[in-house]
Amino acid sequence: MSRRNDPLAVVGLGVVAGPQPGVSQRMMAAEAARLAIEDAGLRRDDVDGAIDLRRTGGGGDRANYSDAFPRVLGLPVNFYFQLGRGGALAGLGAAVAASFLDRGLASYVVLVGAVDDWSRAQRSKKEGHRGMAHAEKEGYWGKALGDLRAVSHHSWMAARHMAVYGTTSEQLGAISVQQRQWACRHPDAKMHGRPITIEDHQNSPLVVEPYHLLDISLISDGAVGYVLTTADRARDLAKTPVYVAGQGFGEVAAELWWNKENFTHMAVAPAKEKAFGQAGVGLGDIDCAQLYDCFTAEVLFQLEDYGWCGKGEGGAFVAGGAIGPGGRIPVNTGGGLLSGYHLGDLTGWAEAVRQLRGEAGDRQIDGCEVALSTGHGGELVSPGMCSIHTSTVLTTEVA
Amino acid sequence: MKEPTARVDVVAGPWNKPRPSIDDDSREFWDGLREHRLLLWRCGECGAWYWPKAYCREHPVGPYAEGMGWTEASGLGTVFAVNWHHWAFHPGFADEVPYAYAIVELDEGPLISSTLVGDVPYGVPLVGRRCSIAYEDHPDEGFTLPRFTLPSES
Repeated sequence: MSRRNDPLAVVGLGVVAGPQPGVSQRMMAAEAARLAIEDAGLRRDDVDGAIDLRRTGGGGDRANYSDAFPRVLGLPVNFYFQLGRGGALAGLGAAVAASFLDRGLASYVVLVGAVDDWSRAQRSKKEGHRGMAHAEKEGYWGKALGDLRAVSHHSWMAARHMAVYGTTSEQLGAISVQQRQWACRHPDAKMHGRPITIEDHQNSPLVVEPYHLLDISLISDGAVGYVLTTADRARDLAKTPVYVAGQGFGEVAAELWWNKENFTHMAVAPAKEKAFGQAGVGLGDIDCAQLYDCFTAEVLFQLEDYGWCGKGEGGAFVAGGAIGPGGRIPVNTGGGLLSGYHLGDLTGWAEAVRQLRGEAGDRQIDGCEVALSTGHGGELVSPGMCSIHTSTVLTTEVA
Repeated sequence: MKEPTARVDVVAGPWNKPRPSIDDDSREFWDGLREHRLLLWRCGECGAWYWPKAYCREHPVGPYAEGMGWTEASGLGTVFAVNWHHWAFHPGFADEVPYAYAIVELDEGPLISSTLVGDVPYGVPLVGRRCSIAYEDHPDEGFTLPRFTLPSES
């Protein structure tokens, strides 16, 4: 079956950001869905499909609550299911929703991800844990040995890149600093109003060396929802459509892991080839890049793997200010997971939609027509983490 | 050259940390550790080494990876990447920080991970250093944990 000519479009966006003490994950999801539907100019009765984006891999094996947002919100949906792979949510969700929309099985699908990680971490802290004790998967190899958190296994990526290419902690800090500059232009960002310097990065506590505290993404409460529909329906709605112009996926389990290259590379190559090919764009067409940034090194790897700089040259590239305001390629323009809020790739997805709609306020990229949004996650390989890479090109025009 | 004898530590008392994940796919591996043998998963047909368990990628394989099995390895390797945990994320590790946690590239090929124990210098590059398996027995719990040590640089 050939691909439909019409791409799909994001027509509604709902964001619930900031600590939500005493608010359930279920209600945050329902509220983000309500906001997204309203943003599109739709009524709840218009929505006939719902996908619950769960950080499954990094967030426990199974649903941690029943009675989900479509029931709470009274959505008359014909299907509801959960989907997700750690930080790979929005991109995977769009690819799956596309099959329902393309085949005429749905007209408007609402996709929502909600987390109460900040509230849960506050509780487990009282029992002597630090970070997201609730999110680490049973069965993970290293837990008994001392490899306890995402930062435990992700810091190997920074360590390996440093050993092979000579990358420095200060260079990784340049990523934190520039994303914080963006966050200071984004009122929804947790770190809005709190600029940092390289010295602040270097002076922040060593958590799992080489990572300092300021190399590590935030722990958040909140929810992001979006409504996906077909391009013909999108034209009649309240907001300018944002088109899903191209998507691609890659797994380190295909080859990189076997070659022991997954600690310095991400599975960008196959994902980029498909996504950019479908969208008919090249790297120079990308006006802003929302790159999955659970930790600083992931940003560095993607800058190299997409080709903004050569492999091993990422440190020098970011140290020159390439990704901040006024830089060569604006990256994580809402502050990202490091300085904005952490809802997996939904954070960057939401920011890409706002940039393409011209709704990004003080951080708006002039003439933003093409945005890249990436996702990352999942425990497919051991040792190591986060096998999948998802790549989505979002645009203001139908290709 | 005589193989060096592996370091063995015996830790008595109850375990106050997350328990090792021992399942049907890894039980023989963990049994090997209790006998102070590092077992890797090996193809009986072509000799390829794997860890964790896998179907051989080198050629067609039969049901449930038949013809492959757990085979004693040298226990020798090279530090591939390492981090230093300064924070104890779980209260059981409060007395152990800072500790060095490494990915080790075993001489047979596979990567495995655990802490480096013994004399581990802080503040110097460790990637590329030779290391060897050590065994940490927990007789009251019935399991042995794999650790790695750096040979002295004399």
